[in-house]
Amino acid sequence: MSEQKISEAIGPVPAAPVHRDPLALIVRFQSLIGLVLVAIGGVIFSPRRHGEILFLDPDNIANIVRAVSETGIIAIGMTFVIITAGIDLSVGAVLGLSSVVTATMMISGGFGLIPTILAVLIMGIVFGTIQGTISSRFRLEPFIVTLAGLQAARGLALVVSGNQYINISYGDGPGLAPPVFAILGERLFNNTVPVATIVFIVFAAIATIVLNTTRFGRYVFAVGGNERAARISGVPVSMVKVSVYAITGFAAALAGIVHAGQFNFGSANDGMGYELTAIAAVVIGGTSLFGGSGSMVGTVAGTIMLGALANILQLNNITPALQLLATAAIIVLAAVLQSLVRRREGLGR
Amino acid sequence: MSAPLLSVTGAVKRFGGVQALRGVDFDLRAGEIHALLGENGAGKSTLMNLLSGVYTPDEGTIQIDGKHVTFNNPREAQAAGIATIFQELDLVPKLDVAANLFLGRELMRPGGFLDVSAMRSEARKRLEAIELAIDPARLVADLSIGQRQVVAIVKALSYASRVLIMDEPTAALTVAEVERLFDVMRKLAASGVGIVYISHRLEEVPQIADRVTVMRDGRVAGITEPHAPQAELVRLLVGRPLDELFPARAKATGRALLHLRDATFHLSRESAGWQAPTGVSLDVHEGEIVGLAGIMGAGRTELLSALYGTGLSGHWQGEVAVGGHPVKLHSIKAARNAGIAFVTDDRRGSGLMLRMAVGLNLVMSVISRISPFGLMSARRQAEAVKQSFGQFDIRPKNPDIAVGALSGGNQQKVVLAKEILGNPRLLLLDEPTRGVDVGAKGEIYARLRQLAAQGLGILVASSEMPELIGLCDRIVVLRQGRNVAEFIGGVDEHTVLDAANGREA
Repeated sequence: MSEQKISEAIGPVPAAPVHRDPLALIVRFQSLIGLVLVAIGGVIFSPRRHGEILFLDPDNIANIVRAVSETGIIAIGMTFVIITAGIDLSVGAVLGLSSVVTATMMISGGFGLIPTILAVLIMGIVFGTIQGTISSRFRLEPFIVTLAGLQAARGLALVVSGNQYINISYGDGPGLAPPVFAILGERLFNNTVPVATIVFIVFAAIATIVLNTTRFGRYVFAVGGNERAARISGVPVSMVKVSVYAITGFAAALAGIVHAGQFNFGSANDGMGYELTAIAAVVIGGTSLFGGSGSMVGTVAGTIMLGALANILQLNNITPALQLLATAAIIVLAAVLQSLVRRREGLGR
Repeated sequence: MSAPLLSVTGAVKRFGGVQALRGVDFDLRAGEIHALLGENGAGKSTLMNLLSGVYTPDEGTIQIDGKHVTFNNPREAQAAGIATIFQELDLVPKLDVAANLFLGRELMRPGGFLDVSAMRSEARKRLEAIELAIDPARLVADLSIGQRQVVAIVKALSYASRVLIMDEPTAALTVAEVERLFDVMRKLAASGVGIVYISHRLEEVPQIADRVTVMRDGRVAGITEPHAPQAELVRLLVGRPLDELFPARAKATGRALLHLRDATFHLSRESAGWQAPTGVSLDVHEGEIVGLAGIMGAGRTELLSALYGTGLSGHWQGEVAVGGHPVKLHSIKAARNAGIAFVTDDRRGSGLMLRMAVGLNLVMSVISRISPFGLMSARRQAEAVKQSFGQFDIRPKNPDIAVGALSGGNQQKVVLAKEILGNPRLLLLDEPTRGVDVGAKGEIYARLRQLAAQGLGILVASSEMPELIGLCDRIVVLRQGRNVAEFIGGVDEHTVLDAANGREA
């Protein structure tokens, strides 16, 4: 549901029986509530050193928001796709491909920073556009098309990289990347805010504006809300569907560039499983897999919440196996809450 | 006389704020065919669902042979001997007749293998018991609708054999198939089965029913003899004489908005069951409401959707002009550019975004108008919403609640208001009052008449004959995709039905 309140704009509306369902409110802000709960839990269960709460240490916080920036960027793109009731499984592989192409272009190709970034972003857009077009033109499930896209992107990445890590060394001259690129792995503002996080938040802000205030954003909700009704209302459904995959392609490429800059290499096998983490963040953020409703703020909160949860468990030396189980429980909880609200509204399933 | 086979006393059922049944008494005797009539939204489907265990009543009781029963699910109703045949037959088209009859209760051979031959011979026996020769090995997909109907009956009776509830079984049948179905029903009744027969078709009632219960607004409006005059039935159905429900017709009409002469829609690919418009000639003038009548499958919906570009792909041949200019209507975009708007018969499936707010739904067809430079303008959106709320009395008066929470009538008003916002010249309506209560119907008719008075041309397809007769200036009858007759509004229902069925008047 869009955040816009129409009644505010048309002035006083005669009193109507509006039942504010508390459950609906919880679901609307579930990821923010979850984030707060996780943060409280983090404070309580955080190990302490000299009386200082490690979880709240600025370095630790910076670590959390840096660690989630790549999946966060992907989740932002994924939110558009999921609101149209679609899915994009190729994003993790496109991230790997993009990191490889970024490294290869700068190191072996001798391209400058700007041409490289532009080329990789365009590659992501083209990749997504192809997937969206195939899905839309041949009426194929996006699940299948992007599953194939995942394989294709990994295959391309392996071809480009020769299944080798492509290390990025910095300096002036052939075979070296411009030193400024390394900024993606650093922190700004007195060494506090990771640059990767800034990329994530700026992208999220732009996406929020696009989703909530533009014609295109409204079309995205319309297509997911009821594709046939949207078509009959004159919404350019195919254009919208292709565009959202172009957006996930762009997001995955952007995340791939950030990845290469943070870790100083490109690797064909990186980003594996990121698509699932991103989908989890979107769902925890309150976006419905049935389409038609969702929120960017929710996705951002969901992403950070998953990162914070992983961080607490790591601080306490809890095994990754338990981290997975905890994530699983949260996803199920988020989905159950949504389903309960749907049933209460009498909208079935 | 002994206790009736089945009786319902004081049944009340609410859905959210909507009261679908407001204290209904109903009874069925053994060997009786009891017709249950009512307009859409009158509560007959809800009553049927109570009897078949789909819903449980909020208040009231159900008795069989004078004993209280409660059904928590359809299985319990079947166990008590009540079988229901829904409009959408629950048959699997890709399985053969025998497999459908034994679905979920397959006969097995030792070792866990299906005993196909035993099932087929048993199926043959059961079909022959009602003197119907359908090969049990045939796929259901290859049967006619009428044959499927009978298979569904046989299947239902093999679960439960005392009460048979049939929801509009004749809606999709040809005249000959209806006769055969009635024969089957009479035989079953003679063997002691009680049959509840739900229908829209008043003319069938005297042919088949022993007794008639008419429902209106969730109550029993009256119980009458099947040979009561039609006017009496209509009065019970709508609660007032027919002519009061409809606004007065307009006198003058303007130039032709839609002009079809010998217009045929050629499909890119043949499609079974899609009756393409074939050699259609009709005009809709400014300020005129024209009705499309015809039996199911006559091509009413197909004509509307081919004009709007939502049907199957294909192209028009012959004269097609909108507003005096020839147009190629091959896509939604082309239709909208020509000033055509369309309201489908399936508002939940293809008309509304149910989980989205009423306001967001209302502006759906004018998004580009309210988003200058691609940015949504809250002010323009609010103006548009305000205009809709002013034109159509949508309740509750709150644009922020999900449209799915509204009643059927109010949902329909939202769909109509949404299309009117786009300022169309020609409005195509398919079943504009399906599932709408009588009160909202009256409002919708009045609004349509007002819009026509402002110059809008309206082409409306409906299966409800009183609606066409009462609302429309002219009625065009379709049969097998072509226009076969035309009447002035207010014509006798039988005359139209005869034309629709291809009988000489």
